[in-house]
Order: sequence, then C-alpha cells, then structure tokens
Amino acid sequence: MRTQLALFIGKISYLIANMMGKKGTAFPGKIAMKIKPDILKDLAIKCDKIAIISGTNGKTTTTNLANHVFGKNNIVLSNLNGSNMIQGVISPFIIDNKKHYDWGIFEVDEGSIPFVTKYLTPDYLIITNFFRDQLDRFGEVENTINLVHDSIKNENTILILNGDDPSSLYFDDLKNPKRYFSQKESFTSKDSQTVTEPSFCPKCEHKLSYNYINYGNIGKFFCENCGATNNKSDYEITNIKIEEDHYEFSVSDKKNTSKMKLNLLGTYNLYNALAVISFARENDYDFNEIKTQIESFENVDGRMETTTTKDNEIVVVLSKNPVGLSEVLKPIKYDAEKKSIMFILNDYAPDGRDISWIWDAYFEEINNMENLNKIYCAGTRGEEIALRLKYANIPNEKIKIYPSKNRSDIEKPINDILKENKKIYIVGTFTAIPEIRKIILKKK
Amino acid sequence: MELNIMDMYSDILNVYGDIGNLTCINERCKWRGIEVNNKSFSIGSNEKLDFDNIDMILIGGGSDKGQSVVSEDLLKHRSELENYLNNGGVLLAICGSYQMFGNNYHDIDGENIQCLEMFDIETHAESNRLIGNILVENSIGLTPKTLVGFENHAGRTYHNYNPLGEVKVGHGNNDENKYEGMVYKNFIGTYLHGPFLPKNPHIADYIILNALKNKYEVEKLTSLDDTIEINAHNSMVNKLLNI
Repeated sequence: MRTQLALFIGKISYLIANMMGKKGTAFPGKIAMKIKPDILKDLAIKCDKIAIISGTNGKTTTTNLANHVFGKNNIVLSNLNGSNMIQGVISPFIIDNKKHYDWGIFEVDEGSIPFVTKYLTPDYLIITNFFRDQLDRFGEVENTINLVHDSIKNENTILILNGDDPSSLYFDDLKNPKRYFSQKESFTSKDSQTVTEPSFCPKCEHKLSYNYINYGNIGKFFCENCGATNNKSDYEITNIKIEEDHYEFSVSDKKNTSKMKLNLLGTYNLYNALAVISFARENDYDFNEIKTQIESFENVDGRMETTTTKDNEIVVVLSKNPVGLSEVLKPIKYDAEKKSIMFILNDYAPDGRDISWIWDAYFEEINNMENLNKIYCAGTRGEEIALRLKYANIPNEKIKIYPSKNRSDIEKPINDILKENKKIYIVGTFTAIPEIRKIILKKK
Repeated sequence: MELNIMDMYSDILNVYGDIGNLTCINERCKWRGIEVNNKSFSIGSNEKLDFDNIDMILIGGGSDKGQSVVSEDLLKHRSELENYLNNGGVLLAICGSYQMFGNNYHDIDGENIQCLEMFDIETHAESNRLIGNILVENSIGLTPKTLVGFENHAGRTYHNYNPLGEVKVGHGNNDENKYEGMVYKNFIGTYLHGPFLPKNPHIADYIILNALKNKYEVEKLTSLDDTIEINAHNSMVNKLLNI
C-alpha cells in the first residue's frame, strides 16, 4: 500500500517538475524514498534479471550501449541519463512504470553501490575501470575499490571486469564467477604513462611495470616483485584501426571472432563497447546481433554530442578527471578543420570541489593540434584552466579568459566563441553540461 | 645558471596533481633562462641519490599505501637527507611526505607508520578528513601575504617549528591552532596539496631563489609576466573571503 502511494506521489512530482520545465531525473526517486525508504526492494522484483554498471569512467556510455543491445528484443529498464545515485535507479521505475521487465540495467555510482545492493542483488556487476575521480568525496581510490568489493555479498553475481585494469586483481579473492575483457596493443598504445596514475600491485603493493599501456594505467602490466599480472581474458579486441569518425576492430572470445565498427572515438570507448560485448556474449547473443546494435549506436548526451546550427558545428564533451580529459583531447587532435576549444571548469560538489586534477591531465597535447584558433577558459574556476594552459606552454595570445560568477554565467563566452568560429569544441565538467545545452538549444 | 631538480617518488606520490609543482618550477626557471636538469628518484630507481649535486627536492602526497611504501625506502637515505637539509638544501614536502619527516604517523586504525624522525612532528589521523579550499597568510615575509590551495588530509599534525603561515580560511595542520605547514631552513612542509605553486608564484620564486643562492651570487630573480598566475590567485582569495 505504502509502495503504491510512494509510486503515485513520485509520479506526480515528476509530472509537476516536467511541467515546470525541469528534467528532474533523480527527483521522483528521492520523493518516493521519503515515503518508503526501502521502495527499491519492491521495485527490483519487477526485473527478471539485473545488471549494475559501475566504475570511474564510462558508466553512462556503457549503460546506454548495453540498453541499446539488450533492448532490441527485450523489455529493458535503465537510468540512461547519468543520474546514478540510488534515487536515480528508482526514478525510471516510477516514470516508466511497467509491471514487468526482462532486464534492469543500471548505472550505479561507486559510492552508491553499498546502498543499492542493500535492496537488490545484481545478476551481473560490470566494472569499467577505477581511476582517481573526485577524491575529495571518497578519500582514496583504494577506499572506492573496497567499497565496491565489500558490497558483493552474493557469490552468484557474475563479475565482468576490465582485465587490463590492475584494480581488477582486487576481486581475485571473491568466489564469484568472473569474466575478463582486454584490448591488445594497438597504434595508440604507449610504453609509458603520460597521465601519472600511480599504479601498485594489489597483491604485494610493489610498483607495477608495463609491457604497454592503452591509456591511463590500463594495459598489459606485471609485478616484478610477486609476478602478478593480468588475469587471462575471455573477450579481446584486436586489430584496431581508426577511420575518420569511427573505429574498426576485431573482437573475439574463445571460439569466434567478428569484425565491428564503433562510432565513438577514444580508446576508453572501445573498452566500454567491449564490456557490453562481453556482457551480451555471456547472455548468448550471437556476434551478428551484437554487431548490428554496436554499429547502430550513436552518441550519448554530453559524451561528444554534435549539434549543427545555421552557422556552427558544436561538439560538446563531458570531462571530469585527468584520464578522461587526456583521452578527450586525442580525437580533437585528429580533426584537421579550423576550430576553437572552450574549457568550462566548475567546482560544485558534483564536479569535485578540488580542481587539482587538471594538472594531471595532458593539456600539452593541444600543442599538437593543427588549425587551432583560440582556447576559451570559462567556469567558476576558468582562471585555473588558463593557468594550466600557460604551463602547458600554450601561447598567451591564444588564451581567452571568461571567469563565471556561477554555473549559468557562460552565455557571453559561448556567444563569443560561436561568433568567432565555425567549428567549436566545448569541454565541460559535470554541472557545465546542462547549462551549455540550454544555451545551444536556443541557437538551433 | 643551472639547477638540478630532483622529484622523489613522483610515480607513487602524486595523488592530487602534485606534478604541477614540478611543472611550475621547471617552466619558471626556463622562462628566465635558468637551465634545469630534471632527475627522478623512486623505489628501484637506477639514479644514485647524489645529494651533493641536487639543488632542489620535491616530494608529493599520496595514499596511505603509497606513503608507507615510500617511508620505508626513504629511511635508507635518512642521514644523507639530514645533512642535505642542515646545509640549507631546498625541499618541498606536500601532505603525506610532510608527515613522513616527523616522528610518527598513527593511522585511523591506530597503527604506527614508520617515519623519518627528522623533525619533532607528531601526526595522528582521525576519521573525518579535513577537506576544502584553504587560505593562509604566510609568515615567511612573502608578498602578497596570501597563499591559496586545497587541503585533503586525515592527519592532524603538531609541532613547535615556525609554521608556513596562519590559516584564515580552512583547517591547516590540525584544525586547532590555526597554523599551517612548517619551515626549517629551506625545508617547507605543507598540507596545501597538488598544484600549489602555479597559483602562488611568489612562493615558487622564493623556492627557486633559495636554491640558486646556495650555488650562485644572486639576490633576486628577473621578474616575469604573472598576469595569469595573479589572476588565478586573486580569484581564489576573493572567492574564499567572499569579496
């Protein structure tokens, strides 16, 4: 009875928020939880199977891609918009409100996993990677990993892990079935780390060595002290080629190989796709079905979304940690068109109050970009992006600073950049993305 | 002029963009025509720790795990390091490595992480971390008086040395006595983590000048166009003082 009431009030609050022009993605869940704190328990049983997708980077893209693959011939419920605390998992149940789902595929923030798993037991837990992200919130990466690790209470939950991420070894002690995915050395691999991501052996705490690194601290690693290395992979991507706006690659499991295309650039997106391919293969999808869905997938909001207006082509990208930002700059380098870039750095709680991480991102890459006109620095900490650029040896005359009083104070720099350039990239932190979108929508 | 700058354990202790401090020192030297030789030292490093040919040492902060690994290694070089500091060697230690120069570090579980016992500093950790932007008025005579940064530490640090400054906004050494950091000859320890030098160019230059003075007859550095640095500094000062 109370569940029904909670659902009803939740739905009403969603409708009201919608009428007021607010997107309110976590709001209905928040209201429903006020009325019935354990409502997720009642809702979760509507799903035959549940998968949780977590990790530092790539949660939203991976969830959207998994929804796209599994949704082709199943009824799937997901939180697709990146709202990933417990309220964000509850809200889609309230908004969509069907009696039954074949699958619930949810993105869950690492910090929220203990709360979510209190009310539901996932059949699959897919972990993209662990990097330093918003450390002011969690303390340390090891704490985050432990938080997720200790939330795995049921030994039947199948873990799908990034075998190239040393932190995947932290899960070795669990009895749960585990599947590992891996990306072999490619033209973008390096033999040293450009983003200094301290990497220790989870077994003996010794510093790790690498045969190659695909990005961040993800790659073929080994410990000279205790011999620990990548777990043997079940799913592999090989033969990666980059075309103008997509990748071509081979993917294989123990028996079969398939060739696929991916319309998302960035090495991290190949890993996101591979996580989904592994997850789908585990559930008996054949390679052809997977291929069709992977190849028909387009961008998720804020993850490299392109908007074309009368005068401009605008690419908006979310970036919130050093590895992510370094990776975002790579595809911009491949764009030979004349362009300008804007960085919007905010320091609200969802962005991380501490902006130190920009010093770990490889802004020096900008020096290798051709036909780059100006770099605009905005956001509540816009001055510090300018400072970072100066120390990356970007000439002063290329840097334009527009400090923002608050998150919505970015209309002036966006108007200026649109007037002065045809092709533009806007790279923003979490709270910047909705504000950017609001302004760009008005230009359409 | 030429400086040999050694970053120690930066592959292990670089949790909050501490590498930004090295970038800052390097660039500010190069812009002035001071030649910089970068050396790194870490666990298993082939580079010999030749303190006679080091003009400046930078050590960053790290996770508890990183800290205990480094602490153990650093103990092997304790006496050379002590000579280096007593002879006026320049060293900047951030957060965890600042703690490491003290007597001990009691972590949250009450376990004692072995420290260098170089200085009479006591640190114990508490479960609520001291996190946030911090504004300090320096007590080493630099203009402007303000230093801005971000702190994030479980440790509470107590000592009777000269502090780096007085906390105006934030927590500092222990959240009790309003002091932040410590200074001993040319050693500076601070909780202002990560890229602390770029937006405080006056203390970056103070460190560079101290290192040069140990080698050359210099009184001051050539000035640079610090518009972007001062802009970033002032915007944080204004933000923290609600101006």
